[in-house]
Amino acid sequence: MTALAASAARLVLGALFFWASATKVPDMAAFAESVANYRVVPPALVPAAAAAVVGIEIVAGAALLANVWARAAAWVLAALLAVFTAGLTSALARGIDLACGCFGGNSPATGWTVLRDVLLLALAVLVAATARGRTSSRSPRAGAVPAG
Amino acid sequence: MALLAALGGAVGFAANALSPHPAVLGRAVLSAAEAGGGSCSMPAATSTSTALAPWKASRISVDEAKGLCTACLAGFVDARGAHEFAHGHIANAVHLPPAGHPDEAAAVTQLRTYPLVVVYDGEYTCAVADDVAMRLRRAGLTDVRVLQGAWPGWVAAQGPASAGICGVCGLPEVKP
Repeated sequence: MTALAASAARLVLGALFFWASATKVPDMAAFAESVANYRVVPPALVPAAAAAVVGIEIVAGAALLANVWARAAAWVLAALLAVFTAGLTSALARGIDLACGCFGGNSPATGWTVLRDVLLLALAVLVAATARGRTSSRSPRAGAVPAG
Repeated sequence: MALLAALGGAVGFAANALSPHPAVLGRAVLSAAEAGGGSCSMPAATSTSTALAPWKASRISVDEAKGLCTACLAGFVDARGAHEFAHGHIANAVHLPPAGHPDEAAAVTQLRTYPLVVVYDGEYTCAVADDVAMRLRRAGLTDVRVLQGAWPGWVAAQGPASAGICGVCGLPEVKP
């Protein structure tokens, strides 16, 4: 994978999640309802879980865009996507009709939503495998140990 | 990774605090199905209810709403027509029909004093109440729910009516 392609993948993933979080912030109450509809989080913890998800999306998305802690950010997003995919699959398997709440909209969750999450998960893993660790894309100083 | 996730959590709580429609921390958020299913049907008919359409407001049961009314912890909005409202309504409910109301801005201001607003209409589908609930959400009210069972459910449960025990709530009725 060329450096250019790796950078493009990182920027796409970062922009996507930063945008996804930006669409949720204006109506966090609605996103909390979307989270509740998955029925995998105890009701009392739903608001906190919703806030945490949005915050992680903001920070990880910004980290990828800035190429700071990009590898960790990609792994965090990969973990988040794995949870999303499992939650969506579980909800659909239980016959729960719900909106995925993915980009602040009300589009219903379907098998295509799961497929999209799987593809994004693959992208996140790809970015994690190719991104640098702690620092930006500047070349490390001679003798410096690359952070992992 | 842990540091990044922790930082994300902190940022998330800050974003929630700054959101115009924040998720109320500490208040349980039930799924649509747990909050009464996808219809406004009476409890006896909920076995046939389907999942809540995603654009519908959250539901609240008559029992829970009665408790909030008695404790003056919720504002109530009647979304039925003027004639139905005049004939009987939940104690101290504000009348906000779907077509709007000349004093709606003042009514919304009064409703803001409550942490939760309950909207109801007279039909088991709750379609009208959903429309008004969405209107209130757009007006900036953060927690707006629709009464499961609607007005018939309230009457069947003998909830406080226009001259009922919620008279101390201090929310004057907006006359149609």
